[in-house]
Amino acid sequence: MVGRMSTTGVAEESIHQGIVPGYLLARLARSSQFAHAAEAARQTLIKGRPEYRAALELSVDSNGDLIADVQAAPTRTVYDTHNTEQLPGDKVRGEDDPTVKDAAVNQAFDGLGDTFRMLLGAFQRDSLDGGGAPLNATVHYGEKYDNAFWNGSQMVFGDGDGEVFTGFTGSVTVIGHELGHGVIQTTAALEYQGQSGALNESCADVFGALTEQYTKDQSADEASWLIGEGIFTSAVQGRALRDMLHPGTAYDDDELGKDPQPADMTHYVRTTEDNGGVHINSGIPNRAFALAATAIGGKAWETAGLVWYRALTGGLSATADFTEFAQATITAAADIGASVETAVRDAWIAVGVVEGGVIKDASADRAPE
Amino acid sequence: MPQQIEPPSDGSDATGDADRIVVAVVRTGGIAGLRRRWRVEPDPEQTPEWVALVERCPWDEHPDPAVQTGADRYVWSIHAVIHDTQHEQVLPDALLHGAWRELVDAVRAADTD
Repeated sequence: MVGRMSTTGVAEESIHQGIVPGYLLARLARSSQFAHAAEAARQTLIKGRPEYRAALELSVDSNGDLIADVQAAPTRTVYDTHNTEQLPGDKVRGEDDPTVKDAAVNQAFDGLGDTFRMLLGAFQRDSLDGGGAPLNATVHYGEKYDNAFWNGSQMVFGDGDGEVFTGFTGSVTVIGHELGHGVIQTTAALEYQGQSGALNESCADVFGALTEQYTKDQSADEASWLIGEGIFTSAVQGRALRDMLHPGTAYDDDELGKDPQPADMTHYVRTTEDNGGVHINSGIPNRAFALAATAIGGKAWETAGLVWYRALTGGLSATADFTEFAQATITAAADIGASVETAVRDAWIAVGVVEGGVIKDASADRAPE
Repeated sequence: MPQQIEPPSDGSDATGDADRIVVAVVRTGGIAGLRRRWRVEPDPEQTPEWVALVERCPWDEHPDPAVQTGADRYVWSIHAVIHDTQHEQVLPDALLHGAWRELVDAVRAADTD
């Protein structure tokens, strides 16, 4: 969301973000030179300041005109439950606050910002709901709590037990994954069961991976494609929670066992546990995305990510299975170009969702639900 | 062919020994998607304590899975055999409190393998 004004008085979008300081709004409201901006400022002052924020960047162009770029900005709040399970806990850092001593708080805060910037930069999406929703996170949830989760309105980090997991705030892919669930919740709202649940998990992994790659400015070839790298302790024989490019290879540990993710439909796992294996069978669409992104090349968020995002936000049903999602991505890819469509189709062929160029009916492979 | 994960093989469904007490807990889900399992088969002198822990749980209730919103929450599968009586319950993490939480915490603490 960008508002752009120049001294010629052309307001390409009205001002409605809350970051514009009150004194500037008041000054603009009295302006006779910037008629449109003045009216927008007056309306903003009349309606009251919105709760969400934006960034205002002022510059002078080659004609000497003042350029004001108004761009969405995050509204982050981090809470601390002090090892209890009473959410949200005490507020320990807000958007305007400096860093604090607690590293977990700062990591969570930075990760929320990284995810916000990826969503805005890659997809022009203003926060999770596209409308500037605040980003809230709680750290130090529970005692030695071995998880990070999205509770429907905020993300929550445990500290880990110190034996298998270190804390969860140190991985930007984990933070991007959890906030990705917030995006999914406000778009396709994929049901958290069976194949639609596995798509929910996979799309969250895509958001997590893209957040890391966008933050590091990595190409698809440079990316690790790992989710949760570094959150295992050194005692665990494993690199990460999941490997999107090579599902089933992230860990192989005496205590935890082997990464159970399948890489294709031949090895689809039928189970009633884990909501029908949502964290297991997500390996199949995960690999499709990583294969498509690496085949297309360049920055994954620019093309493959855009295809997946358009499929997710373009009318996908809440009960979508792998075939419906594959078709949606192929359709979105075709809108970009033939080579992109081919890369996406080939990726779904590689994982067995598309066979012989035809979308396969995966119902025979579906777990009992 | 699709693979199939077998139901938890925790020994809690064995009914050959009328005095046997077994409690097993399987945790799935979470962002890691790791399957963790804990099991306890207490010594006879600990029987009253474990019977009390198990019988305090509302096994006949039907938890509403919709109570657990969001994603990456745990799902707990709890199995118990008290003499000849078998109990089984699947609980979303959001409902793991009270007597359920006490039972699960006790099993996890007792299973130190």
